[in-house]
Amino acid sequence: MLNMRLLLVVPFAAGIFLFLLPESLRVFKGIITLISAAITFYLSYAVFLLPQQQVELTCYLSASLDKYLLLNIDFLSKLLIIFLGFFGFIFSLYSLSYVSKTKKLTNYYSYYLITLGAAFGAVLVDHFFPFLFFWGILGITLYKLVKAYDEDSSSVAKKSLIMMVASDAILILGVALLWKSTGSLQISGLAIAPLGILGTLTFIALIIPALTKAGAFPFHTWIPGFAEKAPASSSAFLIASLDKLLGIYLLARICINIFILQDWMKFVLLLVGCLTIIIAVMMALIQHNYKKLLGYHAVSQVGYMVAGIGLGTPVGIAGGLFHMVNNALYKSGLFLTAGSVEKRTGEEELENLGGLSRVMPLTFFAALVFALSISGIPPFNGFASKWMIYQGMIDFGRGSGIASSLWIVWLIMAVFGSALTLASFVKFTAGIYFGRRSGKYDKIKEVSILMWLPQLLISLLCILFGVFAATRVVPFLLEPIGGKINYTGVWQSSNVSLLIIVSIIIGFVIYLLGNIRKMRRSDSFIGGEKIQEELGYPSLEFYKTISSFKLLAFFYKKAEKKCFDIYDLSKKLVLWCNGIFSKAHSGVLPTYVIWLVAGMLILLLIIL
Amino acid sequence: MGKEIFYFLIFPGLLFSAVIGGFLSWVDRKITARVQFRKGPPLLQPLYDFLKLLLKETIIPVRGSVFTFLVSPVLALFGATISAVFILLPLFHIETGFAGDLIVVIYLLNIPSLTYIIGAAASGNPLASVGASREMKMILSYEVPLLLVIVSVIIKAGMTISLTEIIAAQAAGGAFIGSISGVIAFLVAIFCIQAKLALVPFDIPEAEGEICDGVAIEYSGSSLALIKLTKYIMLFIVPSFVVLLLLGGFSFKGIDILWSVLKLLVIILLLTLIRNTNPRVKIDQAMKFFWIWMNLLAVIAVVLSILGL
Repeated sequence: MLNMRLLLVVPFAAGIFLFLLPESLRVFKGIITLISAAITFYLSYAVFLLPQQQVELTCYLSASLDKYLLLNIDFLSKLLIIFLGFFGFIFSLYSLSYVSKTKKLTNYYSYYLITLGAAFGAVLVDHFFPFLFFWGILGITLYKLVKAYDEDSSSVAKKSLIMMVASDAILILGVALLWKSTGSLQISGLAIAPLGILGTLTFIALIIPALTKAGAFPFHTWIPGFAEKAPASSSAFLIASLDKLLGIYLLARICINIFILQDWMKFVLLLVGCLTIIIAVMMALIQHNYKKLLGYHAVSQVGYMVAGIGLGTPVGIAGGLFHMVNNALYKSGLFLTAGSVEKRTGEEELENLGGLSRVMPLTFFAALVFALSISGIPPFNGFASKWMIYQGMIDFGRGSGIASSLWIVWLIMAVFGSALTLASFVKFTAGIYFGRRSGKYDKIKEVSILMWLPQLLISLLCILFGVFAATRVVPFLLEPIGGKINYTGVWQSSNVSLLIIVSIIIGFVIYLLGNIRKMRRSDSFIGGEKIQEELGYPSLEFYKTISSFKLLAFFYKKAEKKCFDIYDLSKKLVLWCNGIFSKAHSGVLPTYVIWLVAGMLILLLIIL
Repeated sequence: MGKEIFYFLIFPGLLFSAVIGGFLSWVDRKITARVQFRKGPPLLQPLYDFLKLLLKETIIPVRGSVFTFLVSPVLALFGATISAVFILLPLFHIETGFAGDLIVVIYLLNIPSLTYIIGAAASGNPLASVGASREMKMILSYEVPLLLVIVSVIIKAGMTISLTEIIAAQAAGGAFIGSISGVIAFLVAIFCIQAKLALVPFDIPEAEGEICDGVAIEYSGSSLALIKLTKYIMLFIVPSFVVLLLLGGFSFKGIDILWSVLKLLVIILLLTLIRNTNPRVKIDQAMKFFWIWMNLLAVIAVVLSILGL
């Protein structure tokens, strides 16, 4: 009880307190943030250990507000809380070193802590009124955590804010519609089967904000720009972990608690999910800026979660939520490593980097683990959750209905999306860490312990979650939420991981049996030519063949002109409407007089 | 755990599949030699190759990333061996509880290609980099048709992804190739494994005459020996995988042994003949071939198998 109250109060109080301190005490602010994040992590662990229950907090202001402060501790919110606590702590550690020297960020730590507190609030409350309150705060802090220092970054921040606020408005509409059809605004225990136009509209109005927050097609367009312009720690904290957790949390609540999924809803969710996977990853393939590349992947991975939850079966829901957790781990890890590389080199373009694996070995190791996890390579965690989603899709194909009969399409899109993810991460790792290092990076050092420790901790979790997926993690964290899972497939991750260790030992035995001790180091052989510095084959050229196919080239060109960006499309619509209305504002007095008289006549006609 | 390690290292894992794979690579070379009116190598040539490489000096690129460069071939060998275990245990009708399903096998079979890419990138050689990018593009090309073939097998086997059940379904109702969709799927599968094994005309990532073995250009000595070993194993298990999916698997009762061996040898013969009668294509031609024609055929196979043909 006390723990829960503190969980909400501590981050908010610390965040507001930090507003009072001047910016020059940035390191001190960081330490306070770290301490309060550590306390919240401990509190979230304490809440995690509580049994499933509903708690009514007393509001000291007025007793009539008590009913709104009903907290719901079930397995889903406990899963969210422990990970919010973990990420809040780990990124505050990273920020301590990463943000300290960046002059342009003001009140970073305050907004950081308030975001964390609002996220706890949104996950804990069981009533839509306080939920909307916390959800709204998250939209504003998101805007404040982008560093707006020039025209580009301000427009990115504005775009994020507008899309968030628009989706919040739609959420309020959805909540109102829900009130109209059910008369209740409690989140848990609704379980309604939406009927007719009202039900359809309610469902759509509720999933749009969830999809916008998580970043699914076509509401994803704020994410890539945000990833490119925001500081890496903000990206890791918000678009990689927190927003994914919260968006998918809302989606899961909608699909598990509020509605009983109908066939057309499954179809919509699977379609949105699979399109998100493919479209975003195709865009990621052609990026030059590695932070933007990661931004597109932050979108693409959401597709798996949406599709998994859209299946509506225990294995699908567990797979989707497991992927949410896994994605939050490796994606935020990738942003952290990107931040480390950016901090050390000051370079954001892939073509100017290369060969950093030897000068930044720890960052490289972590980045490789994350890249393999996100590409779904066994035995890492990304594979475990994708495997659950795939077999959920195949299982789903036994059912009847339009969504089930299209299982082949969903499966092919999901698996092919995974191959494309692998392709773009080959480009990412090869571009930054492999290849020939240019001379100016020879003297680079590994980042400080405050930065590499979080990276390694997260990569360790990626490995552990993959190795013990089916034996420990899923039964412990996820099966209570969606129900007992009947696997149709077999994946013995622990045994296979052990065999990897065995084969590495065997490999080294073979190396030692051979003549490895007498190895010689020599420069690369390129057909007898003497190697020149500028002769590198930039990893950017990898996928020129793909983007030059006629049909794809057409779409890429259109996408670069932002023809598919819902933000730009609606902006054009608004400006076009403005254009029409502005014609009325001609500045000519007689025209205004005619408007006035005409308006009065119309009013008179209506009244009479 | 000892049981799993035995399966992994001795039978049907590393040792067994390397020996059979070495033999199959000899078959392949012998047929090639006959096509070209040469005598061909002796039976033990694959073993000589392996041992010779093991004793040779290993040269490591000076600007590359040594650890990644040397670990990649080891992990390639792991990927090939673990898929050998998961494919061969059901093929030999050994029920042990140690198994992997269809999705797992597809992903594990991709590990060798992926580690070649990582190793090539880690070497820092521009030609290896070209090879790596081509290898990745080949994966993207054959992934979808291969997946469609597997989908049509899943449909035929009654929506199961267990390898044992796929074999059982074929034992009960005849091999899947005995239908129109089965024949089309087999055709697509042959081309896909041709690309997966990087044989001519799809040896684009290696292309000896053009980019000097591409992904493997910097490897020498023991590390090259490991890559060779991986290639032997892949030459055995990828065709076996097709036998499992479409040709009804192996059987070891009386005369059936001969049939089982023949199934495998016919696929190897097909692969060898294709590779000896075709020139290498360019990467964009290969991608168009798979993305348009093979996908079309594979979709037809899937549609026919939904209709039950």
